[in-house]
Amino acid sequence: MPKCEECKNFFPWEDNPRKGDCVERAVDPRQAYYKAKPVNADQDSADCSSFQKK
Amino acid sequence: MGEPAISIVEHEKRQEWWWAAEKKRSSRLDYLRKAIWKKGAIGGLYPQGLYVDLERPVLQTEKARELESSPDPYVIKFAKILAHVLDNKTIFITDHSQLVGYLGSLPNTITWDPTLAAVLNHEVVNDPTCIQEPLEESLKIISEVADYWAGKSDLDKIMPYLDLDDAMKVLSGAIGWGVPLSRGGYSGKDYEYIMTGVHAFEDIIEELDRRIDEADEKAHEPGASKEISDLYDKMNMWEAMKIALEAGIRYAKRYARLARIIAENYETDDERKEELLQIAEVCEHVPAKPPRTLQESLQYDLFIQLFSRNEAIEGAWPARPDYYHGPYYEKQVNVDKTLTKEEALDLAGEFLIRAAEVSQYKVKWAREGLQGIEGTWVWTLGGVKKDGSDACNGMTIALLQASRLVRVANPTFAFRWHPKVSDEVMREVFECIRQGLGYPSIRNDPVLIANAMNWHGHPIEEARTWAHQACMSPAPCTKHGFQPMRMANATVNCAKIIEYVFSSGFDNVVNMQIGAETPDAATFTEYNQVFDAWVTQMKTVFSILVRPVNRARILAPKMTPRPFLSAISERSIESGLDVCDPSISRGNAWITAFTWVENADSLAAIKKLVFDEKKYTMAELKEALANDWQGYEEMRLDFVKNAPKWGNDDDYVDTIMLDCLHEAAKFSRELKCPSGNSWPILPENVSGNIHYANIVGALPNGRRLGDALYDGGISPGPGLDKKGPTAVLKSCSKIDHISDGRAFLLNQRLSPTQLAGEKGYQLWKTYMKTWADLGLDHVQFNCVSDEILRNAQKDPEKYQEVIVRVAGYSAHFVDISRKTQDNIIQRTVQGLG
Ligand code: SF4
Repeated sequence: MPKCEECKNFFPWEDNPRKGDCVERAVDPRQAYYKAKPVNADQDSADCSSFQKK
Repeated sequence: MGEPAISIVEHEKRQEWWWAAEKKRSSRLDYLRKAIWKKGAIGGLYPQGLYVDLERPVLQTEKARELESSPDPYVIKFAKILAHVLDNKTIFITDHSQLVGYLGSLPNTITWDPTLAAVLNHEVVNDPTCIQEPLEESLKIISEVADYWAGKSDLDKIMPYLDLDDAMKVLSGAIGWGVPLSRGGYSGKDYEYIMTGVHAFEDIIEELDRRIDEADEKAHEPGASKEISDLYDKMNMWEAMKIALEAGIRYAKRYARLARIIAENYETDDERKEELLQIAEVCEHVPAKPPRTLQESLQYDLFIQLFSRNEAIEGAWPARPDYYHGPYYEKQVNVDKTLTKEEALDLAGEFLIRAAEVSQYKVKWAREGLQGIEGTWVWTLGGVKKDGSDACNGMTIALLQASRLVRVANPTFAFRWHPKVSDEVMREVFECIRQGLGYPSIRNDPVLIANAMNWHGHPIEEARTWAHQACMSPAPCTKHGFQPMRMANATVNCAKIIEYVFSSGFDNVVNMQIGAETPDAATFTEYNQVFDAWVTQMKTVFSILVRPVNRARILAPKMTPRPFLSAISERSIESGLDVCDPSISRGNAWITAFTWVENADSLAAIKKLVFDEKKYTMAELKEALANDWQGYEEMRLDFVKNAPKWGNDDDYVDTIMLDCLHEAAKFSRELKCPSGNSWPILPENVSGNIHYANIVGALPNGRRLGDALYDGGISPGPGLDKKGPTAVLKSCSKIDHISDGRAFLLNQRLSPTQLAGEKGYQLWKTYMKTWADLGLDHVQFNCVSDEILRNAQKDPEKYQEVIVRVAGYSAHFVDISRKTQDNIIQRTVQGLG
């Protein structure tokens, strides 16, 4: 079962590596941006369409 | 071959200011301006491409569920829910941006707060326009969230404690709008405490810790008293404030981390890398510590505004950005030379853009009343410092220039004019008006300072710190002077007052008795009887709307607390009381008087045609109005054309206007807010004149049900001011702008051709001198030609960026209803000189 910590988009927090930011590039009809949301390192990423192996 | 490129000068000659601006602004501002997702509702519906953000309601609901069995008092639970949202929501950084932070999870989202009111949640459930695909999945989430908060939302909690009769009349939508909630209105801020570079979040947390420790020690010494009992509530409040501030610091650090991740892992452009590292440094520093630079100061302010809007729906944005950011501008641009004017202009422009993006899901009547915008973000510029000297600075000019480059319709500016304002600044103000922004509106600073002292007893130094609490009303930014929540439901649809004179208070549109049961108007044989009935209806309607606000203000500290807003307010930090607690506020309430002038014009028509000339009887008039003038067209035209109208320097009707205002002012002093202060009236409209068109029945000024009402404040009816701009000013000057009410909105239309060049500036300056000499407190201008407005109606795609002044706010012309568009075109274009 792949986990978020194995994903290229996962950036662990220095003070708590069991958590991290999931950072993705997004482009909508008006602007381009990077977005981030907190995820657990051991979160199951099997269903994540954005998963990219590190 | 494409059309030859048009030069900036040519665009300006053609008054195509929006295209000229596009060519003049930096590539960064151009990108960011075009990146905005416009959030203002059009015809009550949100524009295509936007959707309701479900992330936050889900986070709020999951945390609330988790805390259900917790022994924490409500205020701490509430702060923890706020912290949970800030810790877990998606954040983003837009390319080229230097300032960060948005309420929603993505740029095209509208945030929804399900904790406020079940009525709001029902609207989301039934919203046909902005639910994200896959629809079924979204609707399931929305229903679950709405179900969870049913009975738990603020309004649900407050309602049983209000007078049911008053509440039903308020909720009928006939006489007022808004709800009496401390998390749903206009929040002033204690900027003198939080924005002067002395205190930031870490300083406050330290102070809160000290107070909690002291209180804890005292509470456990031998003894017992009310004071000791009160300490437990205070400790909870201080704890909740701390939770909110700590979450704010963590939220900023999330941006710092994201900016570093982008710089170190993704960005290839060295210049942008530097900018991202700069963003990281800024967000590591503020809001934890006081700002050191202009960028930090703007970012700090933006964070504060966002946190406050994470806690409440704020329909306005009281601010004085040149005053509080000016010292950083001066230091960096003029003293240290660490920032160029162009760089500062970019930051000022981006600050406007960040504010323009802010959006919160609102009920339909609010969306209709604020056509094309998200709320009345009227930022205050200019004015005087506490010592009375001129407060204008480099940032005043930078913001005025930036507004012409980014041309957002919201925020707008209101400029506090006073005799010491330099010609350089006045020219910048004029340039914004000439270029058709519809702002700044101009406020008469000496008059409004005197007004604040007169009505609410603010000491002069406090009064001088004022900023617009919403579109129009001045409120100081000090410890005791600022008003944490103006609940919008003390907003009166005043045309109902004269309507109820003829129906003995029965509202035929919503079918209920709302006003007073005054005697049958058909039996009146003297004008005084009409006026007495009018006074009774005015007092009744005002009271119905004011009482729920007073009640909600008293209930707010316990039932709907504001831990974040309290945490940035010196009076709450000191006292341990919620910021809305009336015992720590001077009180600065006002009654917004929508659709006011219809009363004077109607009474004048009755007096002249019924009682002076005896052409009609009151019974005939009552019958004509009951039939919406149908079958009485000739009579109706008599009331339109042959009765004197406000705004023509005609004492006949102007005296009646003064009689109405004097009665209202007298009663305002009897109406008291929970802090013991008065409730003066403030005539203005937003776009209530269109919203209420189908709610106000036929009126004696010749108006029929469905016709647009006047555009508001003390502005004459559109096209009814026939004697020129000086006559308008003279009529308005008969009002005492210090003691007859809190403020008086005046719309004027000027000709862009006449305002061209130096001659145009001199003409306008002469007009403004007359306005100031006559002691008016407000004026705002539309300066877009009929030709451009008509072309925009025909070809909206081509004129997307044309801005007009609607009422207390500006909007893009294409985003307002046809009825409002027509109403603006109908306004008389005043020739100056
Ligand atoms: S949520 Fe998906 S994209 Fe994000 S870190 Fe986990 S697997 Fe990667």
